[in-house]
Amino acid sequence: MNSSPPPANSANGDTTNNVVNGQDLNLNFLDKIRLSATRDAKEDEGEDLPTELNTINSAGGFLVVSPDKLSVKYTNTNLHGHDVGVVQANKPAPIKCLTYYFEIFVKDSGIKGQIAIGFTKESFKMRRQPGWEVNSCGYHGDDGFLYRGQGKGEPFGPKYTKDDTVGGGINYVSQEFFFTKNGAIVGKIPKDIRGHLFPTVAVHSQNEEVSVNFGKKRFAFDIKVCLMSVLGTGVTESMAMGYEATERNKQQMAIEKISTPPNIGYGLVKTYLLHYGYEETLNAFNLATQTTVPPIHIDQENAIDEDDSSYALKQRKNFRQLVRNGEIDTALAELRNLYPQIVQDDKSVVCFLLHCQKFIELVRVGKLEEGVKYGRLELAKFVGLTGFQDIVEDCFALLAYEKPEESSVRYFLEDSQRELVADAVNAAILSTNPNKKDVQRSCHLQSHLEKLLRQLTVCCLERRSLSGDQGETFRLHHFLNNNR
Amino acid sequence: MATSKKMITREEWEKKLNAVKLRKEDMNTLVMNFLVTEGYVEAAEKFQRESGTKPEIDLATITDRMAVKKAVQNGNVEDAIEKVNDLNPEILDTNPELFFHLQQQRLIELIRQGKTDEALEFAQEELAPRGEENQAFLEELEKTVALLVFDDASTCPVKELLDLSHRLKTASEVNAAILTSQSHEKDPKLPSLLKMLIWAQNQLDEKAVYPHINDLSTGQLEDPSE
Repeated sequence: MNSSPPPANSANGDTTNNVVNGQDLNLNFLDKIRLSATRDAKEDEGEDLPTELNTINSAGGFLVVSPDKLSVKYTNTNLHGHDVGVVQANKPAPIKCLTYYFEIFVKDSGIKGQIAIGFTKESFKMRRQPGWEVNSCGYHGDDGFLYRGQGKGEPFGPKYTKDDTVGGGINYVSQEFFFTKNGAIVGKIPKDIRGHLFPTVAVHSQNEEVSVNFGKKRFAFDIKVCLMSVLGTGVTESMAMGYEATERNKQQMAIEKISTPPNIGYGLVKTYLLHYGYEETLNAFNLATQTTVPPIHIDQENAIDEDDSSYALKQRKNFRQLVRNGEIDTALAELRNLYPQIVQDDKSVVCFLLHCQKFIELVRVGKLEEGVKYGRLELAKFVGLTGFQDIVEDCFALLAYEKPEESSVRYFLEDSQRELVADAVNAAILSTNPNKKDVQRSCHLQSHLEKLLRQLTVCCLERRSLSGDQGETFRLHHFLNNNR
Repeated sequence: MATSKKMITREEWEKKLNAVKLRKEDMNTLVMNFLVTEGYVEAAEKFQRESGTKPEIDLATITDRMAVKKAVQNGNVEDAIEKVNDLNPEILDTNPELFFHLQQQRLIELIRQGKTDEALEFAQEELAPRGEENQAFLEELEKTVALLVFDDASTCPVKELLDLSHRLKTASEVNAAILTSQSHEKDPKLPSLLKMLIWAQNQLDEKAVYPHINDLSTGQLEDPSE
């Protein structure tokens, strides 16, 4: 598939133009259907989290790990500095997040209380305390010192012993390690170790025993919960906020200080409504903004005129209504009447989507026989055409289920599919605008708002990738569903 | 001047832009959130009908909220207070600052109407007790009462209290309090996203050279100008 379509002729809606736009439409709308198919898949960053202790590469002879792999006990007699019982987590700390954190609980401090918590790399010598070797760090319980690669540590915090809960964490924003004791921060140091780091625990004298919490149980240290949202208003921000929430807040405060042109939100909403042909909403919106006190001045009449995005507004609204109501036959007939160039090529994306939708509407009301007939007549020709085949197959799969609305292909039956088809018709009609300048050819595919959101996402992704892939990024879906 | 920044061509950048998985429903939700938070009930209803997007709160509560806002904007503070209490009596109970500002606005309106005696009585009975409890309130009260001293309000140093914009300020405060009481955020999310975009571009500028969007109203991509 060419990534750059050939230049369009004088855009009078001839076939060449349609094919060109057909390619654009192809990339967009069929891919969006594929996106729907994967929607239920977990939308995480794809990183495995540490869940238990690694029994394979631990310092075998010196310690024993419990069957649940969440406790470790020193079984040796401590004779020198090279018989430390070290054990790492099964996976390295994830990096595509704001922070990572885990805790240990000291069950027994044994004879000498030489327990440590910290982070090490995969290649760490599993007989030394974390922090005694380069590229590792450790907070030691016997002296309260912080070790980070030299034999001699530095005073850091309190010692810790039996019944203490000690935590170790990484802050990817500030690039620091931080440690806690019994729910309070002890201190932090710069993180200058690169690459994947394993949460690490060590025991070094007889009978020392420690259990680990990788998040299954509640932490003693309040890393995630923002007390403000729990207690409601009336609690001032200066009162204890969760550690992560505080980090996020710092970023938020910097962002809030940025100034934007006045009323720009209104302008973007207006062009969004125009772009997609939500005419009735637009009229109500215009009325509302003009009658508020004071009236909202939308400073963008220039931008709107240039785009001519009010082209065929009424028709686009009507077609959207037809599609959303499942009246596909009428929609097709009307398109043949008003915009024949769009449906001229029966193998175009728009035709495919409409025929597909007709099929879906038949299945929806249980007219399976009619659906099969229709499928044979209008959809079979797409089987064998790359770009369409997988979707046709998934769509036909609706027939296989007694309750298609509970199947893995239920997304075809959802409102979002109708919206998608309506959007495709909308884009196709916009592309017939004879006033459209070449440069803005792709304008019929994306509203201004969409362009801004894409730019935001890519900037955040790129920034993270240039920072060693560490830290959070922006995802609209998450942003909308997290109460802040 | 040599930089160690990564150079990203327009073509590469556009590829990345097109690779972003953005859902129509999410954009619709963003727009609906805007309409609802701003209180545009009819627009929200129409949008629900035209796009199938569900509003995140009951639209009926918006109508009530807008009625309160309008009452304040028109200077009918007593009416507004009654409506707020009808909506949710806890709002004013738990928001002493808001309640004081509403009372203060009421005082301003009485002064504006030239009802000097009534204004003084109101100030003494309703506002003075609050002023005693709170230093900030007392200062506000004194400022407001100062309006009475001047025959010609336009010469008064605190004349901005008489401005219609002060009504809008109070109206905004009430609007925010109602939204919060309904566990709804008081600001639409869209403006924050725009700020985030500017911030994100500034952040990335430290590490890369790439096409920017400089005009937020059009989203037009511009090649980096070195």
